[in-house]
Amino acid sequence: MTVGPVARNTATGTFFDGTARGVFLLRRCRPSGHYNRPQAVSCTECGSTGFDDVPAGGGVRLVSWVVVPERPRDDRPPGPAAVPAIVEFDEGPWWWSKLVDADPAALTEGQPLRMLFERAEGGEAVPVFTPAAGRAG
Amino acid sequence: MVGTSDRRRPVICGLGLTEMGPIYGRHPAGFAAEAVRLAAADAGLAVSEIDGLLTSSGTSGGVGLGLQRDLGLTDLRLLSEMQAFGATAGAMVQFASMAVQAGMAEVVACVFADAPLRPGRSAGDVYSGGRRPDRAAAKLPPPAGWGGLLAATGVTGANTMYALAARRHMLRYGTTTEDFAAIAVAQRAWAARNPLAQMRQPITVEDHHASRWIADPFRKLDCCLVSNGGVAVIVTTAERAASLARPPVHVLGWAQSHPGRLMDRDPDFGLVTGAARSGPDALAMAGLKLADVQVAELYDCYTFTVLVTLEDYGFCAKGEGGPFVSSGAIGPDGGVKLNTGGGQLSAYYMWGMTPLSEAVIQIRGDGGDRQVHPHDIALVSGNGGILDHHSTVVLGSAAP
Repeated sequence: MTVGPVARNTATGTFFDGTARGVFLLRRCRPSGHYNRPQAVSCTECGSTGFDDVPAGGGVRLVSWVVVPERPRDDRPPGPAAVPAIVEFDEGPWWWSKLVDADPAALTEGQPLRMLFERAEGGEAVPVFTPAAGRAG
Repeated sequence: MVGTSDRRRPVICGLGLTEMGPIYGRHPAGFAAEAVRLAAADAGLAVSEIDGLLTSSGTSGGVGLGLQRDLGLTDLRLLSEMQAFGATAGAMVQFASMAVQAGMAEVVACVFADAPLRPGRSAGDVYSGGRRPDRAAAKLPPPAGWGGLLAATGVTGANTMYALAARRHMLRYGTTTEDFAAIAVAQRAWAARNPLAQMRQPITVEDHHASRWIADPFRKLDCCLVSNGGVAVIVTTAERAASLARPPVHVLGWAQSHPGRLMDRDPDFGLVTGAARSGPDALAMAGLKLADVQVAELYDCYTFTVLVTLEDYGFCAKGEGGPFVSSGAIGPDGGVKLNTGGGQLSAYYMWGMTPLSEAVIQIRGDGGDRQVHPHDIALVSGNGGILDHHSTVVLGSAAP
């Protein structure tokens, strides 16, 4: 388990209903068809507040990533580095999250990713991403 | 004959800097009040002559409207707390300039203070969430909202977010860690000449490369310091400044830019910042060209921020910031006099007040061992959020 716990609130309830059933809900504007990010309260293209919350189709690519080594803490040896990342859905929106099971040295811009969901005890399911070509290593 | 608009041109007439660095046991409001008093004394003004006050808090808060009472100021004509993160200092000078031009106030103090450092707590932890409390052990509910979701995946803190931006620049333009090192080394060379600087020991590219990874592609020496302290400037009219203690530093031009696409799809993320708009706008207002700039004080939360701002301001072409800084163009012996006090990487971290204060020092000719010649025109950037807010101020030794 690599994600921390997160609770739902009024803003995120619909999104976490989606992650609970294994989908990432984007907000598709009814008038313009533009795909907005999950946080959108009005369409960035036309200003409409009428949305359909639709599952992302699954195509995701790597935009940027960072390798954050775990700091040594007390007497415990450091664990593997974390890899925060920006990803791009085929529908357009970007999403800031993290990569799991990724060899940082093998990452390339634009490489296809696969979405997974992780859930910390007592928290909602959280989308994370991994290289689509299979587990690194 | 001098017209009203000339008489009311905005100038900076006072600068106050408290002790800065790991100074413990003081509240931010105390630093702020001291900085304002120092700035007034520097200008040759009584504190009671201040009739406008703009305040800016750092991460530890506590510098707000109550500063009026801390300073014993009554019947102010302008008072506000401002927030555009690292762009706030520039923004405060801009609003103060407009206020004195409009006749809304005569003497406006602009102050930033912060005291995030505490004994036994690392600078990185202060700003990056670092060692967060064990929520389960503390029986706290999990964080909620979109911010909670982001935190759950470990995307926390400016180090990670700016590193995501820097990675894009490296991927697109071939910028390297050697290029970032060139900025760290150049600014430390300036800091070695600055008695105000926290870090004055010269460093090499090898030292940079040997410093630990914070968030690859950033090493420790790519990241700014964290400081406790306060800085204030006082803005008044050219007419009023004529009878004050110090030569006026004229506020010749200003602009802001707020791209507003953070965390949304943004093809410019990490490649082009608000500086690309606010820089040319501010220079146009001043009636100047980039070639007229003799001192460049650019916001440097990270080495990368300096590099991308140099490109956006036009010191080099887009994408050529890496080769430019690695060519010897910067540093005390370089052609571009950049971050001449050592900046936030090596001198002191007072958000936008760091570049602003050094620009005032340089224009006045108070730079001592680090004084630049000539020093009549300075370009000052402020950058806030994750490259999400930008301010530019053009300062000069003479009226336009």
